[in-house]
Amino acid sequence: MSRVNDPVAAIGASAAAARRPAPFVGAIVATLCVGAIALVPLLGVPYVTSLIFTLLVSFILAQSWDWVGGLAGYVNLGHFAYYGIGAYAFSIALAAGVPAPLCFVMAIAVVSTVAAILSFPLFRLKGDYFAFATLAILPLSELLAFNLVRLTGGADGVVLPPKYVLSQAFYTALAIAACTFALTVVLARSRFGYALKSIRNDEQAAEVVGIRIFPAKLGVMVLSAAAASLAGAVHAWQLSYIDPPTVFGLNVALVPVAMALFGGSGLLWGPMIGVALLFSIQQALLVNMTMLHATVYGLIILMIGRFMPGGLLRSRLVRSLPALRFLSREIHLDRQEPSRSTSTTRLPLPERKPSPSSELLVCRGLTKAFGGNIAVNNVDITIRQGEIVGLVGANGSGKTTLFNCISKVYEPTGELIFDGRNLAGLRRDQVSAVGVGRSFQNPRPFGDLTVAENVAIAATFRPGGPALPDALSEAASYAAFVGLGDRLDQRADSLSLQEKKSLELARALALHPKLLLVDEVASGLTPSEIRRFVEHIRDIREVYGITVIWVEHIFSALAQVVDRLIVLEQGQVIADAPLAEAVKDERVLAAYLGQVASKEGH
Amino acid sequence: MPLDILAQIAIGGVLIGGLYALFAFGLSLIYGVARILNFSHGTLLAIAGVLASILYGALGASPLALVAIITGLALAFFLFGWGFHDLLLAPLKRRNHFEASVGTVLTTVGALIVIGDVAATLAGPRPRNIPLRSDVIEIGDVLIPVSQAWMLAGIALLTVVLQLVLTRSWYGRAVRAVTQDHVGATICGVRSRAIHGITFGLGTALAAIAGVLYAMVYPVDPYTGFSLTVKAFTIIVLGGIGNLVGALAAGLFLGVAEAFTAFFWAPEWAPALSITLLLIILVAFPNGFGNTRKA
Repeated sequence: MSRVNDPVAAIGASAAAARRPAPFVGAIVATLCVGAIALVPLLGVPYVTSLIFTLLVSFILAQSWDWVGGLAGYVNLGHFAYYGIGAYAFSIALAAGVPAPLCFVMAIAVVSTVAAILSFPLFRLKGDYFAFATLAILPLSELLAFNLVRLTGGADGVVLPPKYVLSQAFYTALAIAACTFALTVVLARSRFGYALKSIRNDEQAAEVVGIRIFPAKLGVMVLSAAAASLAGAVHAWQLSYIDPPTVFGLNVALVPVAMALFGGSGLLWGPMIGVALLFSIQQALLVNMTMLHATVYGLIILMIGRFMPGGLLRSRLVRSLPALRFLSREIHLDRQEPSRSTSTTRLPLPERKPSPSSELLVCRGLTKAFGGNIAVNNVDITIRQGEIVGLVGANGSGKTTLFNCISKVYEPTGELIFDGRNLAGLRRDQVSAVGVGRSFQNPRPFGDLTVAENVAIAATFRPGGPALPDALSEAASYAAFVGLGDRLDQRADSLSLQEKKSLELARALALHPKLLLVDEVASGLTPSEIRRFVEHIRDIREVYGITVIWVEHIFSALAQVVDRLIVLEQGQVIADAPLAEAVKDERVLAAYLGQVASKEGH
Repeated sequence: MPLDILAQIAIGGVLIGGLYALFAFGLSLIYGVARILNFSHGTLLAIAGVLASILYGALGASPLALVAIITGLALAFFLFGWGFHDLLLAPLKRRNHFEASVGTVLTTVGALIVIGDVAATLAGPRPRNIPLRSDVIEIGDVLIPVSQAWMLAGIALLTVVLQLVLTRSWYGRAVRAVTQDHVGATICGVRSRAIHGITFGLGTALAAIAGVLYAMVYPVDPYTGFSLTVKAFTIIVLGGIGNLVGALAAGLFLGVAEAFTAFFWAPEWAPALSITLLLIILVAFPNGFGNTRKA
């Protein structure tokens, strides 16, 4: 799911990254800002204080929404429900006489539990369905608040003991808001953050490079819910009265979402700018109107959706003004040294001495059917360590489906033994962790991340992989190996098809696989590029001891390097023999090279 | 529990379920063809109901007026839906995936809030209905109002007509072509934007018809909307996207289930049923979006 597709933006982003000020400057500026806001209550104007307070609460909500929306790419329209439940949990506890700090803890505990439970059904959904189901959480919560009268007071709401807490609430909100922003900075550069960014781009590809996606999604949902619950709790503390429509009402619920999107979802400054601007517009309008307040909210949401779903900071205006360009910068990791290592140096792959006598992969009776179409039919094959096996067959003969079965993109029936281990019941990320790396026939790089980040993700998520900064420098050598050494800082979606295929290969190598599944990488290459690619495949086996299964239509390329040929026809193995024998097999000629070739051969 | 009371509850449930289904058709059609989840669908229904109630009073409460109102509102909502799609939603299709989906959600949710609030300001927030006096058919101790029986017959007829239009007419073929392969259909000369617009209009018109019928049974206010959209969504999930017969069955099931929940437990919990049901379906059948989603 890529946000900005034009290469100009990508270049602008990397250029801006080079001019990034040192981190301590950022820290000083941040401290000054927090300090300035902290002075507001000293002005002694309660109206201004509560205005800024509301602004802080909005920021916490918008920013924490964007952890799920901007980082992980899930549009959670029910985020406000966590705010509401947090407000209720806090108020009920406080009204019962629990001390305030403990009430905050209780709000977090209740909401985190709710978010964790809801994640199970919700994350089975994607796209519009996820958005819709999360929005439906709001009326359900409101209904519960109305109906569970003994707990929530029903329509009467909860009234807190009368106490003037504006300045305590203000400083609490300021602290939470500062933490929220700090956490955003940390998240965007963390391993966890990169798991989420991979999920945002392509969940299946993320799993194949070894990321456990559900715990990551659950984690970010709980984190975002916890922040929202604190916003709700502190707001309830200041308001000292809540009822169902104020904390679950549909028209207020979507304003934080609209704010984050208005600024620019997924950008560091997006939610903050969006909140500041939209909040000011809203205040100016509401103060001057006696009715139709909800219409104003609705129109703002509608207009942002219609004209600016990508956000203000991604607009041409902001990107063309040098003074503002830093605002539209995407967060990418900076590499330590721009290394230009050539392919002559050894890749940081482990030493492996394949023993050709032992079996690496055994498929027994492997079958995958889609409705009536049996794409892989009772396949029995054995791959020994250190082999390079060519897998050929006409289009639709089941080659890619076989790869998908081995890497668990599909769940096949039959037996799969890899390196002495039964793959039954393993998830995609576990299959990747035991040593199966693959490329996709239609490349699936993480489009809005750089080439270096794409490869670094695979490196850091393999078992015992290095931390991100080291993974990033390791990534450079794989990228150089496949010929992408000078494209490291460019977004993957700006690459050509061939370059994307090379990137897939680099990403698969960074997993340190024992078995590499290569799916049609050579088609579309020039003869000299093919020669180089064949060399790569040979190196991968000879130097690094990795076993390779290679699906390819360009027979001349295969013939240079494979030890053995497996031929599929309509999902069944029709030949499995050393290259020289296989090409003489009449069925192979008929099936793969066509009837004519077979007749001419006679 | 006497059987006739159960029968009476079930009949009430079937009636409201039929209305739900009619209403879900519109949402299902729009989503199935244009891939737009219209969050304001239920609000449009509520507005149609409110307008119908006002017009019915103004036009002098005759059956003829009712027919005129249904026709007029259906036409007006058809045009409104078409315009809404072409002006606000179609331009979003040119954006990338994330922006298009977020933009669509915000636009339709914004419309929901605006339409509801404007209507409440102009017409007042109080619930309105269409007061019909009608004879009652008595079967044993079970009472069925004649008007409601007609209504149910009308919904059944509309289902059949819609199904025929979608499967037999050139409009239906164009719709299916656009649904299956947008680009391919365009190359063959189908104006896919127009098809999307017309379908959006048609779905909105169905919401209007359902709104008028709904107001004959239940009072509606401008804020009723969203809970109805949730119900319609549950129905499409249960019955399958674009599957009208499935939606009818799912609608009837939901209506009857709500009626029994209200009777045996408490009326205020009946609205929770559809959301809870939705979440349960999602847990139990992770891939269970009817029959049109492929792995």
